[in-house]
Amino acid sequence: MSDACKVSVERRGEVAVLWTDGYINNQGGEEIARESYRQLESGARALVMNLEKTRIVNSIGISILIEVLERVMDKKGVLAFCNLTPTIDKTFRIMGLAQYASIYPTEEEAFQAVSARV
Amino acid sequence: MSSAPDSAPARLREAWREVGSALRVGRDRPLLARIAGTAALLTGAERAVLYLREKGGWASAATLGPDSPVLSLPEPCPEQSGLFDGRLWVRLEAEGELHGILGLEGVGPDEAVELAEFLASFLGPALGAHRLSRLVKEADFEVRTRLLELESLYDLGLSLAGQLDLAALADEVLFRSISLTDARKGSLVLLSEKGAVLLSRHIGGELVSPRQAATWALPQGVATVNNQAALLPTAGLQLDSCQKCLAVPIAVSGRGLGVLAVADKESRDGSVLDFTSTDARLLSLFANQAAAAIETARLHGEAIEKERIERELELAAAIQREILPRSLPSIPGLELAAANVPTRQVGGDYYDLFPLSEGRLGFLVADVSGKGVPAALLVSTVHSAVHLQIDEAKTISDLVARIDRHLRRFAATRKFLTLFFGVIEPDTGRFRYVSAGHNPALVARANGRLDRLDSTGIPVGMLPGASWREETVELQSGDLLCVYTDGVTEAVNERDEEFGLERLSEIVGRGARRPVRELCDSILSSVADFAQGVPQYDDQTLLLARRS
Repeated sequence: MSDACKVSVERRGEVAVLWTDGYINNQGGEEIARESYRQLESGARALVMNLEKTRIVNSIGISILIEVLERVMDKKGVLAFCNLTPTIDKTFRIMGLAQYASIYPTEEEAFQAVSARV
Repeated sequence: MSSAPDSAPARLREAWREVGSALRVGRDRPLLARIAGTAALLTGAERAVLYLREKGGWASAATLGPDSPVLSLPEPCPEQSGLFDGRLWVRLEAEGELHGILGLEGVGPDEAVELAEFLASFLGPALGAHRLSRLVKEADFEVRTRLLELESLYDLGLSLAGQLDLAALADEVLFRSISLTDARKGSLVLLSEKGAVLLSRHIGGELVSPRQAATWALPQGVATVNNQAALLPTAGLQLDSCQKCLAVPIAVSGRGLGVLAVADKESRDGSVLDFTSTDARLLSLFANQAAAAIETARLHGEAIEKERIERELELAAAIQREILPRSLPSIPGLELAAANVPTRQVGGDYYDLFPLSEGRLGFLVADVSGKGVPAALLVSTVHSAVHLQIDEAKTISDLVARIDRHLRRFAATRKFLTLFFGVIEPDTGRFRYVSAGHNPALVARANGRLDRLDSTGIPVGMLPGASWREETVELQSGDLLCVYTDGVTEAVNERDEEFGLERLSEIVGRGARRPVRELCDSILSSVADFAQGVPQYDDQTLLLARRS
């Protein structure tokens, strides 16, 4: 895991898959939000965030992810997370992210699930 | 939504129907921007600004139109809605609480009061609901964060309790510490009891170098908070790569095991916040849990090492048992006895006997340097060398030189051994021997004299090209030969006194006429009595031969 969070993305129809690599803090969260909003503006209706290479998330990062989730919900879209470490999985559930976003073990499962909903 | 107030101008009453749809325009834009936009749309204002009441005062939350000149909120804040300096300022209230103030530029004075009342009547509740919703969300987030801290402490305890891998343990502690204090960076350095660095982990760059951690005199039992770390040293250490720092020693019973430090607490707006007493308490708890887990991992490591040594000793003992003769040969004209008492450490003692042609007996007593498996393997190599070379060698000196060359060629480790090799001719009583740095053998003569057979060369394997002198003595009928290893003479008691050559000589001299088996047992029991139960660190080997 690198120190500064990097975000890469691949668009598959109406679904955008984002991969994070690094600490999701203020900087990392902003990177994710910027890319997510860009995808939503260009017509994406579902976001899949693969956090396989992220092992730390702080509360600022979580609040930004909640903002992204709200934006996705405003657009009647779908947000899913996958490949979370057990610690991050539990963090997302406690912080309420899992209430409106889905969590899947693998990217394949997440992609299949959101594709069926858009 | 409520109906339009009666006092509203007809134009605005007609516009009321459009308010709902106006607020819904561009729902992906933040609500505050929509409130400013709706107000501008309904009043025809050229510019609009919305100020929100925050904890520390007023903050601009949304603007519409050109940014400059800035529509600054009048000082003091208007007590009621109306025109000030040509701009319309509208107090947005709900449930008797002021939530925000809307500033509009370019609104004519004629309908200013009615406009203000109208805007306040529907935008006030909308803003109030928004602020309330936001406060509820913030409170909910805060509660969830506290719950997360508690859960993390619980999970960390569970996770560390079963974690014996120091690197994984360090990652777990550092990740959670950084995450829950919202720190931008952090370092965890673990040190050995002697202060050497066992491992170091860093996130966001190296906050504390391993070298700094090893000498950092952090106060024990408490976290050190330095919210001016860029300017002032933290517990005597100037940290170059942070603005604010929180550090705590990892210690067990006052014994330092390492350092855990985090720096630069983040905020949503990108600024760096002060670390709080809650952060300090949290980091201290993490450090305490880490210390207990590290100590457990260390003790576990020691137990594993002890088990490994035990296994190694068992293996060495097995090798030694296989090599030592199971029984003594029967040689007419000679009475023989031999014994080997291995210690827990498993030394490298070895003895062997070789019936030779013409009724002769060859025998060997050797002591390899070192202990454990390496010594046992060297004994095994010596055993092979002797059995391979004994038929080829022309003399005892030649045999010892061959063993020396064999060891140099095949032994895995560079060690040496002392060795006594003798050949007895029972018929003639001639006894030839080589003593390669070995303890002096004893000959207890039947006439009561005691002779010592000193070393005739250096230990085997010590110097390349070495040679050994072969000596010959005559054994008369009844003469007793005693060859032993230093484990016998160097056995110690609790006063750290050695059994010594004198005691051995006395027992051998006194027992010269006793059956050799009986004398052998007697020597060993005398050594055991002398040691009084003190564990010995060297094998004891004894070989006795009496010419009939």
